[in-house]
Amino acid sequence: MRVVVLCSSPYSETGCAMAARLAQLGYVPSGALTLPAADKSTLIRKLGQWGLRGSARYAWSKLAPRGAAPQSQVRNPHLGPALRHDGRVLRNLTEVAQAYGFPIFSSAEQNSPRAIAQLRQWSPDLAIFTGGDILRKPLLDVPRLGVINSHLALLPEIRGMSSPEWSLLCGVPLGVTIHFMDTGIDTGPILLRREFPHAGDCDSLMELRNRMIAFGIEMAGEAVAALDRGSLAATAQEARGEDQGKDHGKDHGKDRQFFVMHDRLKAQAAHRLQQLRPAPLAGRANG
Amino acid sequence: MISSPTQTNPKPEPGRGKAAKALAEMAGLLRGPHRVFPLLLKLTSDRIRTSFEPRHLYAYASTTRPSEEALRLLVGWIRAAQRRDGGIAAYYSLLTGYSESYPEVTGYIVPTLYDFGRSASDAASIAAAEQATRWLLSLQMPSGAFPAGLHGEGAQPSVFNTGQILFGLVRAHSETASADILKRAAAAGDFLAGVQSEDGSWGGIGAYQGSAHTYYSMVSWALAQLAEITQDRRHAHTAERNLDWVLKHCEPSGWIDGINLRGHPTYLHFIAYAIQGVLECGILLRRNDAIEAARNSAWVLLRKFETHKHLYGAYQADFKFGSHFACLTGNAQMSCVWLRLFEITGDLRYLNAALKMNELLKRLLPVRGRSGVAGGVAGSYPVWGAYQPLRYISWGCKFLADALLLEQRLLQKYEACELEAAPCVS
Repeated sequence: MRVVVLCSSPYSETGCAMAARLAQLGYVPSGALTLPAADKSTLIRKLGQWGLRGSARYAWSKLAPRGAAPQSQVRNPHLGPALRHDGRVLRNLTEVAQAYGFPIFSSAEQNSPRAIAQLRQWSPDLAIFTGGDILRKPLLDVPRLGVINSHLALLPEIRGMSSPEWSLLCGVPLGVTIHFMDTGIDTGPILLRREFPHAGDCDSLMELRNRMIAFGIEMAGEAVAALDRGSLAATAQEARGEDQGKDHGKDHGKDRQFFVMHDRLKAQAAHRLQQLRPAPLAGRANG
Repeated sequence: MISSPTQTNPKPEPGRGKAAKALAEMAGLLRGPHRVFPLLLKLTSDRIRTSFEPRHLYAYASTTRPSEEALRLLVGWIRAAQRRDGGIAAYYSLLTGYSESYPEVTGYIVPTLYDFGRSASDAASIAAAEQATRWLLSLQMPSGAFPAGLHGEGAQPSVFNTGQILFGLVRAHSETASADILKRAAAAGDFLAGVQSEDGSWGGIGAYQGSAHTYYSMVSWALAQLAEITQDRRHAHTAERNLDWVLKHCEPSGWIDGINLRGHPTYLHFIAYAIQGVLECGILLRRNDAIEAARNSAWVLLRKFETHKHLYGAYQADFKFGSHFACLTGNAQMSCVWLRLFEITGDLRYLNAALKMNELLKRLLPVRGRSGVAGGVAGSYPVWGAYQPLRYISWGCKFLADALLLEQRLLQKYEACELEAAPCVS
């Protein structure tokens, strides 16, 4: 099985961990297609996401000389096992590629003709999406089997952005879905759909996301292996086709797309997460 | 001629007329050179902001300015715009200063002043509402109608203005229990019932440009409010007939046809009027078909806002093309619509969109500046956009204040778990 990994940045820990985990499972990627590190829109997005101070701290942890930053620093500690190699932590895609021996190709747009031409050269059976642009049909058509994505919610219930947070607020069980991508938003056929069993261990939304990302990487690895064996078939999403890519509101009741969540609602989602944590045992609470 | 600000000019202006108007407005700077600096400041800040503003997925998802502070600024702007006669100016122009009092917007600003006064225990806002009501009552015509245009422009009756002033009278009555105000409100309602066309529209006497418009659903909403207190079937029936006529113009695409402003683009302000009127009238008259139609249109605009991080200032039929500026008052009106849809459906995506829209609008509020600027909502963003260019408009402040007051009330309920949020996924 020839696989390629699509990354949002050479410093994406999720992308790095996905590529490394595939290699550990015996599927060394044929290549990794990434957006550039200093891409303007990525920088603006990260600034908006983490703020100036958080972005500066992140940049320092990634770009600082090896002596200045601790080698073991990983933003998502649950990706540590996948990123560890020969006693050190792989900090970017270049290091992962060197460690496991696969090429990287950087393109300002994942859908660009240049990127698609490179992808064709790798002639992959399967591509694994870990972040970046909204993928268009010409790219989706290149891998023989398709492009798969790990979505941090149960599909088809919760599609789109901030999916763990929306799952909490809408009373939908937390879960991860591995699915084939199509031109809609999270509307493609489902390969694996599993409830997330560790929500009670998470004390913050960040912790929840980090754990779910790690959980999703394991599930994606499992899906790749099962597809390779021919023991896994995709099933179409319920009501698929009725609501995908719709811009007009006739079926808005069926439209399950969610959008980036505002901080005030995130605070409520965090509160719901706290409610999932087991209450301390009386004896323990009393010391 | 300065004409009805929310309904724009009654007749399409030929090119020379527009140029003459622009020149006349520019001459305002000669009469008020103190306005040059604020004008340059606003032009520069909007130029810089539009050049560097990040439009990315995380925009407007965090709070930058408390809503309480923004509300104080907005109501401060409205109170500063209250003229000596008690009416509220239509706008503050960066070229010519404050306009005359404007009956239409004074009418629907009255409930906003009462709402803020009650929620912030601000006696001055309540006094301002009472003063505005007294002025409005002094304008009523023997027919029960209220006049079109700015104060002093003429005495033609206007259906739309009468409807919007009705909001103020109904609220003033519920605050004061005054029999006189109720009588005057009922007379306004009788006028509206009397001039309604057979088909349920208002296209004859007192109609803007002499033709029928679907955004007059705002008039039906006011009439439905009146019917709630008068229990007069005639008022409710008039509202319902107009609602039926408007619903015939609701397309499956979410577009509401028949806004029908000759010589002008279909600004978001008017689209939002049509949606808000249908929604609120539907709620009061318990008409699920109307609520569903409004929800259909509101959902299309929600998706556009969430996907592109902005709404266009004007749209063409079926929301196919937009104009590249923002109509800020239309944005605030859509926030009100989404908040009300959250309130009645429990779908948190409406609340989420409204919170983000309110953040966007709060960011654009000038905190400092002279009277007329600080706390004002510009007609367009950037300020030279096509809708009410170079003006801070009172109805923009009103709709943003309404949106923030609604946000406060609903968030308080939601966060206290008093409001049972239904699952978002049907």
